[in-house]
Amino acid sequence: MIEIKNVSKYFGGKRALDAVSLALPQGQIVGLFGENGAGKTTLIKCILGYLRFSGEITLDGAPISRKNIARLSFATSEHSFFPNLDATAHKEFYEQHFPQFSEKRFRGLMEFFELPKHKALRHFSTGQKNQFEVILSLCQGADYILMDEPFAGNDVFNREDFYKVLLGILEPSETVLLSTHLLEEVENFIGRAILIRRGKIVGDVSMLELEDSGKCLMDYVKETYHYKADRVSKALSELTDEQ
Amino acid sequence: MNHKKKLVHYAPPGVNLGQELGWFASGIGASLLYSLGFLFRYSREYQLLFLWDGTAKVLNTSAVMPNFVQVLGGSLDTFLVLALSMAAVAIYHYSYHYQGSKSIYLMQRLPNRWELPRRCLTLPLMGVSACLCVALLLLLIYYAVYMAFTPRACLAPYQWQKIWSVILGVGI
Repeated sequence: MIEIKNVSKYFGGKRALDAVSLALPQGQIVGLFGENGAGKTTLIKCILGYLRFSGEITLDGAPISRKNIARLSFATSEHSFFPNLDATAHKEFYEQHFPQFSEKRFRGLMEFFELPKHKALRHFSTGQKNQFEVILSLCQGADYILMDEPFAGNDVFNREDFYKVLLGILEPSETVLLSTHLLEEVENFIGRAILIRRGKIVGDVSMLELEDSGKCLMDYVKETYHYKADRVSKALSELTDEQ
Repeated sequence: MNHKKKLVHYAPPGVNLGQELGWFASGIGASLLYSLGFLFRYSREYQLLFLWDGTAKVLNTSAVMPNFVQVLGGSLDTFLVLALSMAAVAIYHYSYHYQGSKSIYLMQRLPNRWELPRRCLTLPLMGVSACLCVALLLLLIYYAVYMAFTPRACLAPYQWQKIWSVILGVGI
């Protein structure tokens, strides 16, 4: 289990995370939602140790270090692969560094998405790059797969395919933390939703609870964010009057 | 080719190693050519040790050959410049992980914490070593030339010590 206890992060004087506490048990698919700048990426980067923070983040009780970092993988819309290498060279690099790397899953996903094996990644389309980034994170053999807007730039069919494949291939012990704006798309695919706003966790709900209460994820988000449904019509009428 | 394949494991993944090695080889070649200036200077100083008696060339026994370090001058300085430029290569290797993607994220979360420094620093350090070795080898060769061809009568004493005094920056 990843435990995040009272984690705060400041950039200069600006607070990006404000005493965030969370637990991510194994075997969950968790959606992390929030507006731009809410702190989603910062939280993921703190978990991975890319950013210094105050507070504590542990993995099964131990601080996240080089000893257990292989249990976490990361897919980001910024991409973390080597653009000049092809897919096969990436596979070899991962195999060398991550002994749990699943060659079988890699082969299967590469074939499913029909990605070329011997073409430098810099020549891939944006959609293909995103797919490959996610493939690597899924094949590393990690228990916790952290994804930060992994499908930015992919078309809807592509994303749909990915959700289905993901549900099909994940082992019960694998956890996915998926940061995205695509609320409605992932609603049927996640088991838990975490809402972050201005660096604070403002909502944490299981999809079963939501289902029982008869709400959809969008309703829950709007409610939690105190979304004013009439703000658009108000703004429009004011603008129309002015004109 | 086999060596290049081995070296790939000591460079950032996907970096154009052939081009880097090519640039380095060119740098070594240019430094080598520049260092040949020693032979021209030595030859000129050597000629000054002789007087012409009619058509005969006679050694001027009162003439003194300038010290080896003076004749050598800055002939090997380009090797130093090349060695120092390896710092820029190390910086380039690190910044390479920000080009076209953020592969630095992957490098920073590898279980082996030394993988990133190894891939950024090994080749530049090998470059520095190669520069120093070639420079040292040339120093020895040029010293041997100086000692072998300079007439004993014109040779100032303590040449080897004088080299060290320059290297260590202490007077003799």
